[in-house]
Amino acid sequence: MKRRNFVKNVSLASVAAPFVLKDINFQAIEKKLFNYSKNAADRVFVIIRLNGGNDGLNTVIPRDQYDNLMIQRPNVVVPETSILSLTPTLGLHPVMTGMQSMFNDGKLSIVQNVGYPEQNRSHFRSMDIWSTGMLDVNETRGWLGRQFDNDYPNYPADYPNATYPDPFAISMGYEVSATCQGLMANFSQALEDPFAAVNLLSSSVVNDGSYFGSHMEYLATLIDQTNAYGAQINTAANAGNTLSTLYDDNNPIAVQLRYVAQMISGGLKSKVYILNINGFDTHNAQVSSTDTTAGAHADLLKTLSDAVSAFQDDLQLLGLENRVAGMTFSEFGRQIASNASDGTDHGDAAPLFLFGACINSGVIGPNPTIGNTIIDQEGVTMQIDFRDIYASILKDWFEVPMADIQPLFEQTVTFYQVLGACNLSVEDQEFEKTRILLFPNPAISATTIRFETQNEWVKIEVFDLEGKKVLDVFDGNLNQDTHTIPFEIHDLMVGEYLVNVLKSSGNQQIKLMKVK
Amino acid sequence: MIPDLSIEEPVSLSMAPYSGAWTKAEAAHLLRRTMFGATNQQLLNAVADGMNTTVSNLLQIPVISDPITYDSNDATSAIGTTWITSVYPSDVTSSQLTENARIKSLAAWIMKRINTEGVSIAEKMCLFWQNHFSATVASDARATYNYHMLLRTHALGNFKQLVKDVTIDPCMLLFLNGATNTLYSPNENYARELLELFTIGKGPQIGPGDYTNYTEEDVAAGAKILTGYLVDGLRSTTLPSPVSTYTSFLHDTSTKQLSAHFGSVTVPNAGANEYSNYIDIIFQQPQVATYICTKLYRYFVNYDLTTAVMTDIIPEMAATMIANNYDILPVLDQLLKSEHFYDVALRGSIIRGPIELMFGMFNATSSAPNFSLAVDSEMYLTMYWLAENMGQAYATPPSVAGWIEYYQAPAFSKLWVNSTHIKTRFDIANYITVYPGIPVSGQNLKLNALAFVDGLSLPSDAVQVIDDMCDVFFPKSISLVQKTTLKFILTNGQPDFEWTLQYNDYQANPGNTTFSNPVKQRVELVLARIFQMPEFQTI
Repeated sequence: MKRRNFVKNVSLASVAAPFVLKDINFQAIEKKLFNYSKNAADRVFVIIRLNGGNDGLNTVIPRDQYDNLMIQRPNVVVPETSILSLTPTLGLHPVMTGMQSMFNDGKLSIVQNVGYPEQNRSHFRSMDIWSTGMLDVNETRGWLGRQFDNDYPNYPADYPNATYPDPFAISMGYEVSATCQGLMANFSQALEDPFAAVNLLSSSVVNDGSYFGSHMEYLATLIDQTNAYGAQINTAANAGNTLSTLYDDNNPIAVQLRYVAQMISGGLKSKVYILNINGFDTHNAQVSSTDTTAGAHADLLKTLSDAVSAFQDDLQLLGLENRVAGMTFSEFGRQIASNASDGTDHGDAAPLFLFGACINSGVIGPNPTIGNTIIDQEGVTMQIDFRDIYASILKDWFEVPMADIQPLFEQTVTFYQVLGACNLSVEDQEFEKTRILLFPNPAISATTIRFETQNEWVKIEVFDLEGKKVLDVFDGNLNQDTHTIPFEIHDLMVGEYLVNVLKSSGNQQIKLMKVK
Repeated sequence: MIPDLSIEEPVSLSMAPYSGAWTKAEAAHLLRRTMFGATNQQLLNAVADGMNTTVSNLLQIPVISDPITYDSNDATSAIGTTWITSVYPSDVTSSQLTENARIKSLAAWIMKRINTEGVSIAEKMCLFWQNHFSATVASDARATYNYHMLLRTHALGNFKQLVKDVTIDPCMLLFLNGATNTLYSPNENYARELLELFTIGKGPQIGPGDYTNYTEEDVAAGAKILTGYLVDGLRSTTLPSPVSTYTSFLHDTSTKQLSAHFGSVTVPNAGANEYSNYIDIIFQQPQVATYICTKLYRYFVNYDLTTAVMTDIIPEMAATMIANNYDILPVLDQLLKSEHFYDVALRGSIIRGPIELMFGMFNATSSAPNFSLAVDSEMYLTMYWLAENMGQAYATPPSVAGWIEYYQAPAFSKLWVNSTHIKTRFDIANYITVYPGIPVSGQNLKLNALAFVDGLSLPSDAVQVIDDMCDVFFPKSISLVQKTTLKFILTNGQPDFEWTLQYNDYQANPGNTTFSNPVKQRVELVLARIFQMPEFQTI
């Protein structure tokens, strides 16, 4: 069991309030999502949108339901023998050999029956719901946009800057992504080709304090920002590399993912990349009338599978596997029964894929149950709320504290272990060795100590190098657990200190470096 | 950057008639807010006519011509004739092709209406109502056209009557499930939006299911009141147009109880007219006037409903509206002549939406496609798609609440522009000026730079050319440095008299491209620059 519990946080109530925490702002310490640890800051998440409503039942096929699938969708279902086996009861569409290999290598996982309550079968509305991560029709921000807003509250005014020179998200194609819509601006930069120069005419307008002036400032900022981000993207793409030979130039998603690999390897610090595949609205001729393993849907799945597996191959060759993970999503699945046009109509829940070397491989959730009688318009029943998957990604991958995640969503969040395999941050690795950790260290105004205890009394003090006590951090009883306590070091002079953790099970010391 | 307290608010909060100076700046402000793109000559006329005459000119809805078939896929109406009452062919494929041809024709026609708006608020009002009553296209272009015409006909008319007509319009019945709202399966979709978005507005929730102005019970009662209307004749092979029909056995004849917000009145069964009685009850609440006036204010004046605006401006507008039994025209007449409207603090307070942006370029330069019916239609369709690309597809607002840029605090119209859309805006600017044009059907869609410069006050004078352009395109005066830069582009860095010589040579040699091309090129370069300035992005 890896130690990922530090975000579980010693809540203030559970410890005797350390008196040094007079005006400490917990929020401030835990702020900067996507930056909680060095590792999380380096992590990249790739989102592939399957636009139009992907037919989950012909993508991830519940083999144990095959007989009833034959009853419900005889003209669409692929031959049982052609299904690519994942588990004895589950398989992939025959064209998805790349993703099958990824599954076998532990680099692909499947979350079953994902949707939301009272599925809306309108493309637009449902895509809004998936983009905002909210059922509330009044929500206009994206699920990532809300988190970005929390972290970078004055965006776009103060960005880019020396600390954040790169766009926070990249949307491949013409459109910025609705998932990244924030309060004042969209956090994503849309681009088709990272090598293309962006050179919008910039201007030196002045905000004269009027409404007009505020618009001028906004527009000038946006123009400068688009240029600056464009230049960063160019630089990264040119500095970057790509090593896989599996990319197919005729596969548009493969081409885009190769660009993504190029940008990541070139050092671009964007945290999210969003891609889009159109065409999943397969009402007619989803399958070829002569061969159900061929047709429009098969082509789309092959595009997806080939592209993602080439990308994963590239990441491995580039040594980036532990930094990149991704997911697919679609606004809904399709109905269980096929229609007479060799297609399927708008339905409800569907599986989604998570991919990357760091995902918790395997299958989350049971196979959907397919009845033996056709019920008009019946869809796959939702079992896992997609909003919980989003929340789990924020927690597992970006290490956002759970307490900060819940306010982003309207439902009571249930966390799933979706991305765990590499979830050992630099701090974690250090902690594994020493069982005690200060982060950040060196620190400027505040730091946090993490340590383990039995059920015992604990006292934490800070001493200068001459042995004089300069700070009391904690004094009280703690339960057996890993604890995390933030404390302020505002008043300390710049220099080296020793943090002493006194406990019956054995004392520990760790050096603290206070810097300006 | 977030609109904050430090922003300089309007000085005048008076709805009294504006009596200050009436110069090109005031006239331009009026036309910028009420039209998509006025020409320099239209500005000069407005200055000469004075405020009162200009406002009364603006508040007229011109008679327009019908959409015309231009695509041979329309199986039942000939090219060059209108399709608005033509039946559909019986063959399913042919019917769909006919529909595609008609919807393209309709989209092109709406863009042409905007492109040829004249001095009238009509097109701005049509877009206002399309945003307010946000029904999207039906599966029958005739229904979509009729819906548009309903909004156009009532554009400055009676708001109450408009709500009544919209309520049983086939397009709206289909859009918000009114057509499936029956005694046996009530559907609250329209009943909810009628209150929440179309008439009284949703206030803060002050109790379980109580939104200050109405309750969940009112929504449920409203749904029952509205039962019984169906839509008939979609893509009919015999009917000239889809119609809404009242079917009495699908109507809920029970007596409906409204909440205390509507005086706890009951609505007895009144069959086909019950919806009308219900709307009369809703409109007895003055909050309806307040609600629609805030939307008009945001659309024509400013997004920022400050406490002062809510205290001093909106109540006066609402009072005017109620005094005129919910007629729109008197409210706009008062607003567009008010001191507040002309307050300098409000100039440039709105970022142009995509349609305002595009026709701010085409209309203000008197540029219109002028090839053939088919090519022109395709060009207008291209404009439709360009606007869609920038986030505003005229006939399909993104949600029933309309475009978020008209309501979403705190950013409002800033949301029109993001890293993608700013690029598209600048790309279009380049394509229709300094590039050969946007290729459409073998022709190029491009501004008419020569006609534009010829229409300015004194085209041979470089200084005057730039001054006129600033009046036409910018909501506020720009700095001397900026003006000098623009003039530098116009004259190619030469002394001003060189421009005069060049322009006069061109005038003296009509049709001679040796002389006209350099003039055209310089004007296009200036326009390209102007359209990529942040100042132009606002009105």
